[in-house]
Amino acid sequence: MKVLIIEDEPALRTSIQEYLEHQGYICELAADFKQAIDKVNEFDYDCIVADIGLPFGNGLDVVKELKMLESKAGIIIISAKDSLEDKLRGLELGADDYLTKPFHLSELNARVNAILRRKNFDGNTTITFAEIVIKPASKTVLVHNKSLTLTGKEYQLLLYFIANQHRVVTKSALAGHLWGDEYDQAGSYDFIYTHIKNLRKKMLEAGGEDYIKTVYGTGYRFG
Amino acid sequence: MKLLTKTTVYFLLIMLPVFTAGTFFFYTKFNKEIKHETDEELINDKLQWMRYLDTASVNNPVFNIHTPEFNLQPTDKTTQDKHKLKGINIYQEPENTYAPFRQLSQVITLHNRNYELTLRKSLIEKDDLIKNVAYVMLTAFGGLLLFVLIINWLISRSIWRPFYRSLDKIQRLQLNKLENTVFDRTNTHEFNQLNGALNNMTNRIHQDYTSIKELTEDAAHEMQTPLAIAQSKLELLLQDDTLSETQLNGILLSYEELQRLSRLNHNLLLLAKIENQQYPVTEQPDLCTVIEKYLLLFEELIREKDISIHKEMTDHAPWPLHPALTDILVSNLLGNAIKYNYPKGNIDIRITANSFIISNTSELPEIPASMLFQRFKKNHTGYTNTNGLGLAIVKKIADSYHLQIRYDYHNGQHIFSVTF
Repeated sequence: MKVLIIEDEPALRTSIQEYLEHQGYICELAADFKQAIDKVNEFDYDCIVADIGLPFGNGLDVVKELKMLESKAGIIIISAKDSLEDKLRGLELGADDYLTKPFHLSELNARVNAILRRKNFDGNTTITFAEIVIKPASKTVLVHNKSLTLTGKEYQLLLYFIANQHRVVTKSALAGHLWGDEYDQAGSYDFIYTHIKNLRKKMLEAGGEDYIKTVYGTGYRFG
Repeated sequence: MKLLTKTTVYFLLIMLPVFTAGTFFFYTKFNKEIKHETDEELINDKLQWMRYLDTASVNNPVFNIHTPEFNLQPTDKTTQDKHKLKGINIYQEPENTYAPFRQLSQVITLHNRNYELTLRKSLIEKDDLIKNVAYVMLTAFGGLLLFVLIINWLISRSIWRPFYRSLDKIQRLQLNKLENTVFDRTNTHEFNQLNGALNNMTNRIHQDYTSIKELTEDAAHEMQTPLAIAQSKLELLLQDDTLSETQLNGILLSYEELQRLSRLNHNLLLLAKIENQQYPVTEQPDLCTVIEKYLLLFEELIREKDISIHKEMTDHAPWPLHPALTDILVSNLLGNAIKYNYPKGNIDIRITANSFIISNTSELPEIPASMLFQRFKKNHTGYTNTNGLGLAIVKKIADSYHLQIRYDYHNGQHIFSVTF
């Protein structure tokens, strides 16, 4: 899977590259608008992560260019501006998702993952991790072919963990993923622990292994 | 005190002594004039009488006449060359009072005999004079007062009109709408000076306000990128297995604080955007649907605290508010009601066609009015995951979109009601 990262801040660019490459993606980089246009014209990508504010141009124009080229690449816009208009325009132009800076790398990765799954297999695919099989189309989870009954949030958690497998995922990243902007309202991260405990219990009862490891006080690692 | 009242009061204060002095002056003047006229008449009468008595030569008669107005009696006094004039009071039987008279007296010689001649004329009664003068003066005073009131009213209506227009504009001034405020030219020099000064002032305030606002927004935007970089680097560091627990804890703490900073930044930007009216009302989201959405989102939080929710909602409550703001309004109020509740507490939600009332139990005391919607005023301790902007944002939404918000504390219930 090839991902193009269009971001003018070198430090952020390499952070994204490092995280995504660790998850098995092949990453290419573009530091400004011209490089981005050159790259999308020259190569095919599965997913493009584009910053809006770029030297020599605008990330939204890259989206336009991609649509002109009839590219099948999934597009995620990242922007320092939490602007509703930018978001709507981006989605209107054909971007698949919009993420406001600062974001969790694990969140970006989960979104790239979800877009690629939707794009490449039209959602008709299964996600497999050892004995766990997930069918996103029907939102069913099988462990050793035994169906699990998960709540909406437990299901989201499991998908997030599998997308970010082998990485430490922080509690705030999980809270942000489950509650979005509203995670301010949660008051504490205790409820995440409850969700994870339940998810773990359900998977163990179905005969699965315990893949969710608690990492000190930091967060969790799956697998 | 109104301008009109003030000028009228001043006018009265000045005119009262002036009119009193005027009344006194007129009275003495009239009095003198009447005396003078009467005296002239008396002298004229004397001459007439003398002429007549001189010619009345009938066998050396002796005149002895007594009437109140004409008195002639023989006397041994020596002849006087000049008559004497003086004022006297004479008793009037029918009225039982003394009336003022002028009297002329002279000793004259008629046919070699000396006579004392006394002529008297009644004066207009003093009381009547004072009454008349006071009456005239009061009428003049009253008339003038009425005239001044009418003139003042007319003046304040026409001449002061530009002033009142400017005043009205100043009263309705809003910081974020200063650019539309222009104080017009008038045909009065002083008001032009005033309006000119006001124009300069509002322009300057507007410029300062805009530049400060822009600075805040730009700073907030510019902060997002460095925050994103620092956060991503820390997130990558957390992946390092070789780090010790202490090191990881340090990284995690910095990471969490960065999160807090970026949330704070996000909320400050949100406040600025609401104030700038960047959320136009284009549709009317159903408040009931929004409430249900957030009850579902916060489901676990509610269940974990074992909070019971009572709902009383109409079927459909369209609110004239941008959907994003409706979400924030509900999420902040409902979020607070859950966050500051105690285990097994209550939340009461009531929605009518134009009001949204949410009340919750809490161990926290009543929020003092001075702290209620203030930024960064945390009304409690022991809740770390909060930035003290939630209610400030709700208040800002209400103010910017003409919703009324009120807070009541009653029997341990914190009640927030929003109406439009």
